[in-house]
Amino acid sequence: MPEADAIRLAQQGDAAAFERLYRLHNRRVYSLCLRMVGNTAEAEDLTQEAFLQLFRKIATFRGESAFSTWLHRLAVNVVLMKLRKKSGTESSLEEITEPDEESGGPRRDFGGPDLRLSGSIDRVNLQRAVEQLPPGYKSVFVLHDVQGYEHNEIAEIMGCSIGNSKSQLHKARMRLRELLHEALRAKAREDRKAASADAGGED
Amino acid sequence: MAIIKCEEFLSRFEPWMEGERHADIQAHLRNCPHCHAIVNDLNAIQAEARSWSSSETDAPERVWTALREQLEKEGLIRDTVLDSKRSGRQAASARWLWGLFGGVPRPVLAGAYLAALIAVAFALSGPIHKKVNEEKWLEGTRIATSPLRAELNTAEQNSALSLASSNSDVSASLHQNLAIVDNYIALCEKSVREDPQNEIARDYLYEAYRQKADLLAQMSERGENVQ
Repeated sequence: MPEADAIRLAQQGDAAAFERLYRLHNRRVYSLCLRMVGNTAEAEDLTQEAFLQLFRKIATFRGESAFSTWLHRLAVNVVLMKLRKKSGTESSLEEITEPDEESGGPRRDFGGPDLRLSGSIDRVNLQRAVEQLPPGYKSVFVLHDVQGYEHNEIAEIMGCSIGNSKSQLHKARMRLRELLHEALRAKAREDRKAASADAGGED
Repeated sequence: MAIIKCEEFLSRFEPWMEGERHADIQAHLRNCPHCHAIVNDLNAIQAEARSWSSSETDAPERVWTALREQLEKEGLIRDTVLDSKRSGRQAASARWLWGLFGGVPRPVLAGAYLAALIAVAFALSGPIHKKVNEEKWLEGTRIATSPLRAELNTAEQNSALSLASSNSDVSASLHQNLAIVDNYIALCEKSVREDPQNEIARDYLYEAYRQKADLLAQMSERGENVQ
């Protein structure tokens, strides 16, 4: 059943059409949630919640935007709400980006240390770094760099301008670079400590 | 070509990462290991992130199960398979009644239709709570279902007449099936007489009447087509 037919039938409450839409889109929504929260149980709950909201509102879908964009907007909102609740605060859009940069705090040094990341990035340490990103950066990074959305689509999903999307992505990548360097430095310190402990033990 | 410094490179770094290529930036990158390292790092981050999409998996099936339950609970979905069966049954009933009373003039049709419905509802769905009422109930059933039986007989005669001109195998098969259903009805009526409180027997009898009506409707339709 093509997506357009499934949407029309789902608007009439057709169970098979709901299932078709779920099967078409659940993978991307689940992955988005998983990347955003880094926890499968929470990602499952959030996926369910996103689709539930979608199906509750499906009668109002008029096709002004792509269906997947609409669904992702709901999913991102569900995840951001969850992350805000988790942090215990009602955050504004600025607070879900990077507080020090938005408030004109000391600018971070783009150059950083001389350690090279290439070759040392793997799934685990990048995921750890992504988890530490502010929610706004995280959303844009996952949508663009992982899921392949264009900035105009992200702007629609996030309810921001295209320029804002580009700028957030750039900051997200730079922040990730810093976090990965920090992790590399921490690992290098631990390695040194372990090496000196070994050397001390041998003496 | 003007030689740019790191500061300028960093201010134009965002469009560079978006794919805008300018000769002065390329020249700067060739000569600046510091900025070159930034570009390499970000490219490595992007490459790793892109590889994640290839390992995306569906949400576990329990997510859909839970979601569906919730949608049902909220009354947001209806099962089309059940609905189509239900509407199919309704259509069959309509055909059944039309076929059953196809030969009767319209004003009479409406009366007979109601009589049949009331008779079936009264005789086959009415509860029997006390043994002492059984005989009364059986008598009521006999009286109430007699118009239905009479109408079925009339419809049968009409169908037989309309099919008389057809000697096809299908017509012969319909007659044969009618005899089988009649036998079935006789058996069901016997079961109901023997055990009036047995609701299953009453359901079977009801179903048997429906089957006969369906069959008569088919015969009637076929007769019309032949004529």
